[in-house]
Amino acid sequence: MDSLIPFTTSGSLVDCVDRKMLVVLRDGRKLQGVLRSYDQFANLVLEDTVERIYHQDVFAEMKRGLYLIRGENVVLLGEIDLDQEDDVPLRQVDWESLEPYHQKDIADKKARDEHKANILFDKHGFCKEGGEGDGY
Amino acid sequence: MADRGRGGAGRGAGLRGGAPSARGGKSSAPSMDKPKREAILDLAKYQNERIRVKFTGGREVTGVLKGFDQLLNLVLDDVEEQLHSESGPSTRQLGLVVLRGPTITLLSPVDGFEEIANPFLAQEA
Amino acid sequence: MLPLSLLNAAQNKPMLVELKNGETFNGHLVNCDNFMNITLREVYQTSAEGDRFWKLKECYIRGSTIKYLRVPDQLLDVVKDEQNRAREAGRGPRGGGTGGRGGRGMSQRGGRGAARGGPMRGARGRGRGI
Repeated sequence: MDSLIPFTTSGSLVDCVDRKMLVVLRDGRKLQGVLRSYDQFANLVLEDTVERIYHQDVFAEMKRGLYLIRGENVVLLGEIDLDQEDDVPLRQVDWESLEPYHQKDIADKKARDEHKANILFDKHGFCKEGGEGDGY
Repeated sequence: MADRGRGGAGRGAGLRGGAPSARGGKSSAPSMDKPKREAILDLAKYQNERIRVKFTGGREVTGVLKGFDQLLNLVLDDVEEQLHSESGPSTRQLGLVVLRGPTITLLSPVDGFEEIANPFLAQEA
Repeated sequence: MLPLSLLNAAQNKPMLVELKNGETFNGHLVNCDNFMNITLREVYQTSAEGDRFWKLKECYIRGSTIKYLRVPDQLLDVVKDEQNRAREAGRGPRGGGTGGRGGRGMSQRGGRGAARGGPMRGARGRGRGI
């Protein structure tokens, strides 16, 4: 059966419809929700979505609702095993208390990446990313 | 061809779709998945009005709309660019400018545009 | 229910649009096309950093700059009901099953809407109660 479906977006995603999926976006956001629909661009409709943030061994969730995600922003899409999703060694805390740590993680990573990019640019002749035409 | 690039007042009705107005097709066909051939933005209503335009890469200008085509190429007059340099915001005058449609990311009328305090705080509290 | 059909059905509904650059726009959808270009009215724009806010009467956003849209939760149910009604009314020329597995566009809509959307409704519970 599987072998009859060509390896296309549509072919790979049929079996994921109505399943709880993890979606990771290019900006690093992690969303979990039920995939209700998609198209040939891998635009996704995600229902009952929650956003998760992580810091070390804790995480927090925020209800977000119904999403229409433009496919080009998705870097990862994976099915969540409902039998095992609670077996992870992580502790849930409330969003408000974790968000500052998460923001700091993002800021630290940004500073690190900029530092790296500057060294690559100044000393090793690499070009810079994120020129005109790159929305990110 | 001459009228193509110029836009002009009469063009709103003459857009490709052949509909009497740019959004005329909406009411007649309830089908949700019919291809949308007509432009979803009726630029004629902004003719000679000041509009704000943002581009990929982050540049931002305001100017008076003088002409347009169906690819969203625009002609703006009295253009002022809003610069966001590290030393703070500033502006510069560019005069009469052709804006390339494919690089435009955002378009809105200057009329009714204002910076405001956080409007979501009241709802969150 | 393809993503863009959902967007089409969201006309006049409130929504949040986030662009790739992080700016967000809260407003009511006026119109959209198959490129995901959209026009909004009564818009609140928020800067990428979330520290500045603007009010706009209306705006046009190029589809290719969009990261995602958040639409009302009820929209999915509304659209499904509408589709069911439309199918009941319009049985005939293209209504029935297509069976085309790799089908896209119309055939996929017909196939998925009927075969999945309907009976699979029971599966909703799986995703709920997160």
